[in-house]
Amino acid sequence: MITVKKLSHDFVIGKKGRQTIIPILRDISFSVEKGEIVTIVGRSGSGKSTLLNLVSGFIHPKEGEIWISGEKVSNLNEAKFADFRIHNLGFIFQSFQLIPSMTAFQNVELPLILKGINEGERRKQTEEMLKKVGLLDYQDHYPGELSGGQQQRVSIARALIVNPPIILADEPTGSLDSETEEDLLKFIKELNRDLGITFLIITHDDKVAEIGHRTIELRDGRIFEEVRLVCN
Amino acid sequence: MQLKDQFRFVRQNMKKNKTRVFMTILATAMGCAFLIVLASVGFGLQKSVVKEMTEQRVITQIDVHGKEIADQGGFRPVSEKDIQIFEKLKDVKAVTRRKMLQQEGNFSIGNYQEPAQTVVANFPSEVKAGLELSAGRLPKGEDEVVVGYNFPLNLAIKDAPDDRYDDKGQLKAEYRYTGKLIGEKLEITVRQLKDGKQEEKTIPLTVVGISKKPTREWAEDRSVFISDTILTEIENFTGTPKGYLLDPNSEVPKDQDIHENSFDEVKIYARNMEAVQGISDQLKDMNYATYSVVNELKEVNMIFMIAKAGLIFIGTIAILIASIGIYNTMTMAVTERAPDIGIMKAIGANPKTIKRIFLLESSYIGLIGALIGTLVSYGISYAVNFAIPLIIKQAFGKETEINIIFSDIPFILPVICIVICYGVTIISGYRPAQRATRVDVLKAMRREV
Ligand SMILES: Nc1ncnc2c1ncn2[C@@H]1O[C@H](COP(=O)(O)OP(=O)(O)OP(=O)(O)O)[C@@H](O)[C@H]1O
Ligand SMILES: [Mg+2]
Repeated sequence: MITVKKLSHDFVIGKKGRQTIIPILRDISFSVEKGEIVTIVGRSGSGKSTLLNLVSGFIHPKEGEIWISGEKVSNLNEAKFADFRIHNLGFIFQSFQLIPSMTAFQNVELPLILKGINEGERRKQTEEMLKKVGLLDYQDHYPGELSGGQQQRVSIARALIVNPPIILADEPTGSLDSETEEDLLKFIKELNRDLGITFLIITHDDKVAEIGHRTIELRDGRIFEEVRLVCN
Repeated sequence: MQLKDQFRFVRQNMKKNKTRVFMTILATAMGCAFLIVLASVGFGLQKSVVKEMTEQRVITQIDVHGKEIADQGGFRPVSEKDIQIFEKLKDVKAVTRRKMLQQEGNFSIGNYQEPAQTVVANFPSEVKAGLELSAGRLPKGEDEVVVGYNFPLNLAIKDAPDDRYDDKGQLKAEYRYTGKLIGEKLEITVRQLKDGKQEEKTIPLTVVGISKKPTREWAEDRSVFISDTILTEIENFTGTPKGYLLDPNSEVPKDQDIHENSFDEVKIYARNMEAVQGISDQLKDMNYATYSVVNELKEVNMIFMIAKAGLIFIGTIAILIASIGIYNTMTMAVTERAPDIGIMKAIGANPKTIKRIFLLESSYIGLIGALIGTLVSYGISYAVNFAIPLIIKQAFGKETEINIIFSDIPFILPVICIVICYGVTIISGYRPAQRATRVDVLKAMRREV
């Protein structure tokens, strides 16, 4: 489903002439199979977010290849990657990334609008999805009028609405309390089990790491170890 | 993304900062109204001038003044031979030729009299050119005449006082000849200076017809059409061609014989307006001096074309200034909405879609501005046309005789304005829209935290 081959990345900082190259990722190779939940752990600053951003196409890798669903995405241009994203990838962010001027309903509906779906169909699907995450009663609330957990559920609804085979999540529970976190993890497991959605989740929380079939640990920009969790 | 949804997005976005959008629309509307009103003056004056020109003359008419004499540079009057050439030209409907008595004939019926212009005309061609009678028939005999429609209206009693005209310049009814005219004897009296003494000759004529009322309100036809024979009789008396009056103070002109057997007023009527140019060109090639409204119209229109282009150009500057506002508004909109743009891009919005939404927004502002500007300029144009005559009346204390349209907005003008405004809007909205597509997803999302 996702294959990363010999991926290396570094950031260049500073003004021209006095530039410093900071190596972040070195020779990363791994793959995620269909229906798997893979978590990536590592210390702060180890390059987890950078890795996910590369897979998401938000930044371009300096070296190496990324394949998703059989397509080599690492050299797609911005417009092509956008089209690829809306059909194949769902995103859950630590800070939810909802559009504050849109209601919960409108936020969830947004990917369908971008896909060019008709209004009637959109309404049906959006309502269904809001029901699924238990927020139908909150559909006219703006993000500012929702709790953190509710906001995260809206953002999950938005990620799920286009039926993506893969969901990428960067610290999805980072802004939630432990109880809400548990609900979310349960929901992720359900989605994985019932719909076969593949998850690539970044976390530094052991509880989150535990739901994965596999855990990859990053250290100093390299894969330190890969652990298969027997219980899952 | 469907166009409908793009429009909805744009409207939602515009609602987020109503005052700013409103001010930008206002500036654009002002620019457009300025352009339209400014150019409308050019259109209005052109319309007035053209109306004036075409009202005074028949548009298919070509005046022929004479023919250039080779080598000498002078002109000679049009002769019978020339007329035959004219009549053979393609698309010529009629060639009217008139000889004018070179002095004012004094006409009288009984106790009533009136000085009037005396003309010898070729009736078949006059009829072809559109001459119609309101009463009677065309002359057959040599002493038979046709008078102009206004001739009887000015036939005044001989001892009428000086204030015989009313305030409209018309002869008061009490002094006017009221008897019948057709079949009546009309006498023409001509004069000549002979051996230093003024001599007069009176020739009896019979009225057989009255021409039709001129179609133009202001036109007055008071001429009397006599026959060639009568003219010859007059010439025999005066001893000069066409009854030319000798002046006691000046020499007898030597070249007066060139007027002999030539026409004083030759008009060619084309079958339609389109043919006028072709006929004039042919005449010009044959060295005839001609004049037609169509020719003059062409020049007038040319001048106004340049003037209007200049006015539109100046107006465009106003729109350009307004476009700075659009640029500013759009740049701020992009900056403000960068986080939203980042999120949309992260979800999978195509950069092209984002660009289109912003271009749509700036065109929306531009078009609404142009529409409001157009409406306002129609109002201003109306007000100007209403107010300026009043102001002139105030300033000069009298009714303006001149019926000038100061401002006219033909359909094409708003179209031009909207096209210019739209173009300018797209240009000024392009950079901000381009910037929107370059919003960095990660930076935009980080800012929101
Ligand atoms: N745009 C950037 N320019 C320069 N350096 C960057 C940039 N983004 C990240 N870095 C650096 O890359 C390194 C890895 O950052 P990254 O965000 O991937 O860490 P992380 O593992 O996600 O950490 P955390 O657990 O705290 O989220 C950090 O040292 C950071 O300073
Ligand atoms: Mg991180």
